[in-house]
Amino acid sequence: MRLEPFATLNDMRKQYGIRKTILIKVDESVERFTAGLRINDVRGVLRGDPPAKPNPRVKPHTEGAWFHIWPTFYHEAVTKFYPTFKLGMITTIFFIIEIITGLFLMLYYTPAPGISYDNMLRILSTVPLGQFVRDIHRLAAEGMVIAVWLHMGRTFLTGSYKKPRQFTWATGVILLLLTIALSYTGYLLPWDQLAYWAVTIGASMADAFPPPEVGKAIGLLLKGAPDLGAGGLLRFYLLHVFALPLIAIIFVFVHYYKVIRHGHSLPPGLENIGEDNARKVPPDRRVPFLPDILTNELLWFGLIMAAMIVPIALNLYHAPLEHAANSQSTPLHTVAPWYFLFVQGWLKLGDKTFWGVIFPTILIGLLLFWPYIDYNPSRRYGDRKIALMAMMVTIGLLVVSSYMGTPGFSVVTAPQLEVGFHALPPEQPGPIRSIAFDQLLVGTWSTQDPSAVPGNALELQAVMREIKSEIDSLPKTILVNNQPVNYFNMYAELTIEVAQGTPDNPTLKHIVLAVHWDGEPIDLVRNQPGYFTDTFVHKDSKYTASGE
Amino acid sequence: MADQATPARGITRREFLNYVALASMALFTAEVGGAILAFSLPRFREGEFGGTKSIGTIGDRLPPADSAPVAYADIKTWIVNIGPEAASKGGGKQGLVALYKVCVHLGCLYAWVDSNQRFECPCHGSKYQLDGTYLEGPAPRDLDRFAVIIKDDQGTTIAQTVTISGDPNYGAPIQIPDNASNYTIVVDTGNKIDLGKRHYYTGGA
Repeated sequence: MRLEPFATLNDMRKQYGIRKTILIKVDESVERFTAGLRINDVRGVLRGDPPAKPNPRVKPHTEGAWFHIWPTFYHEAVTKFYPTFKLGMITTIFFIIEIITGLFLMLYYTPAPGISYDNMLRILSTVPLGQFVRDIHRLAAEGMVIAVWLHMGRTFLTGSYKKPRQFTWATGVILLLLTIALSYTGYLLPWDQLAYWAVTIGASMADAFPPPEVGKAIGLLLKGAPDLGAGGLLRFYLLHVFALPLIAIIFVFVHYYKVIRHGHSLPPGLENIGEDNARKVPPDRRVPFLPDILTNELLWFGLIMAAMIVPIALNLYHAPLEHAANSQSTPLHTVAPWYFLFVQGWLKLGDKTFWGVIFPTILIGLLLFWPYIDYNPSRRYGDRKIALMAMMVTIGLLVVSSYMGTPGFSVVTAPQLEVGFHALPPEQPGPIRSIAFDQLLVGTWSTQDPSAVPGNALELQAVMREIKSEIDSLPKTILVNNQPVNYFNMYAELTIEVAQGTPDNPTLKHIVLAVHWDGEPIDLVRNQPGYFTDTFVHKDSKYTASGE
Repeated sequence: MADQATPARGITRREFLNYVALASMALFTAEVGGAILAFSLPRFREGEFGGTKSIGTIGDRLPPADSAPVAYADIKTWIVNIGPEAASKGGGKQGLVALYKVCVHLGCLYAWVDSNQRFECPCHGSKYQLDGTYLEGPAPRDLDRFAVIIKDDQGTTIAQTVTISGDPNYGAPIQIPDNASNYTIVVDTGNKIDLGKRHYYTGGA
């Protein structure tokens, strides 16, 4: 038998003519590229036509590499907002945004002390859309942490971790940890005060790992030296841009694969207890991935991008950048990133080995193996009173411990320092610097009589009132070495003078904040009684409350 | 083909050799893991940020007894002269100590707050006496100290911090000798003293 050779282009041209040959070849290329859809099939998807029989739209799922981690169809019941709240998809969207914006930020970034911070200034000032890309990267990172927590909460709420999805849940817990690790390693990279000290605190938790020799070794592996420096920055950078994303991508695929193997879990009320019908979708309740689910996911992608772009474009949000990292000065009220606030709260309770390492490890272990511990087969809310109550208690505890992690809880320092920190924060613009330049009236203004500030400087007047209410809210007596120390009759004075330019046309103003109280000591620098802190504001400073 | 369905009794030679091969691979993986760990662990000299450092003479550099401490940023050290008042509030011993500037809780730099006459950590609120003894907050122990050596103008050691762990005077302040204003203070940042526990404040005399 003689095999027919493949038709050459020339054979085809003879048989069909040039135009039709090109069309056939383009059609074949589209079919290869889409793993099974010809041009007419793609048009059918775009026009919303019902699929041909046999349905060509399942082919990308069976033949293609990308679509095979999505199911060919979803149960109608899981395509609504409830029960999934779309949270898993939203997390993935944030992750994709992070990868893309991260790649672009890497173009202008070198991980080295002394260079990194200059890179940040360059990204913010001279790189076209640099600040925008950084803002998106930052917002999507925060969004991803929030979405992944909510996704876990939702999965717990609907009991979707139960048999046969125990392992899917466990991979999800690992993805939660990876998300937090990604966010945390990225926190250090700007190399500003915020980054340096928040990460120092977090890395010191690793030092607490028992036994001490192991803890010390982990700290050294992470920081590359006893203190954070060039070695630590490089290590965090490599974890952030290479190691952790690689592991996360692997686990995303495992997680997604498990989701199609078992199907999306149905709303708890829809099936009998102990049953799992997610894979047996009646034909009339199937929603095909192509095009319905895909277009819906693209819509969500657009919504999420819009939700981030609008506040950035309106100047309502910008990623913070403080002064360059200074390993010799820790700013007052330094805290770890907000998603570690609850650990910070626990750390104030005492031993860092227990509260910083052992207790969180127990909780993570409990989370990881929870589906194997919870033997209740029912997914219905009414049958899971204890589990749902445990969830509410856990959420409550996390909120309370997060509050305990804020500076307001049990970090007591002298009231005059708090007033100075509030009015002239070392790392943020704060209220005084945010006053419009022409409203910074030359003279001395006191919180004892804010209304003495003329009516043409309402911003200054408002700030004086704000400082007054801050003073009123502070304790009048604090315990120092178990002895009460009084801070009675405290008030603040703001002295504004022209530092450069003429009185009629000042260009730079010097602002001194003095805090006075009964029994105040002599300030060693100024040789006057009271507490003093000062700043300079230029007429082009353009400080805003949102922090730039 | 009946014997194929029968489960094997004992270990066949092939099975054994496969186990040996797998075990050698596991051993190799462990070796590689160890090598990676050894590769990644940084090498540094303990106290690299200064080694020993002479900060000047007692006459120039020693703060008056019980007055505010003096900071030396390059060696991350506070120099404190513990007088009778600070000693009675704290660990009970007078003299000169060099406190390591890093909070023993989570690595922030604590600061001296003059109006409260104590060290306060800005991060989690640990508080310490002038001589570094623990007052309140989450810190697990007193502040760490560096060994101090007092040398005369010939370079002879006159006094130095006891660095033998277990000695009753381990890490204790150095008594300032009389007529010592020309003597030099040397801080050994490679020799960090961890007092290991909290010496609770008892309320003062």
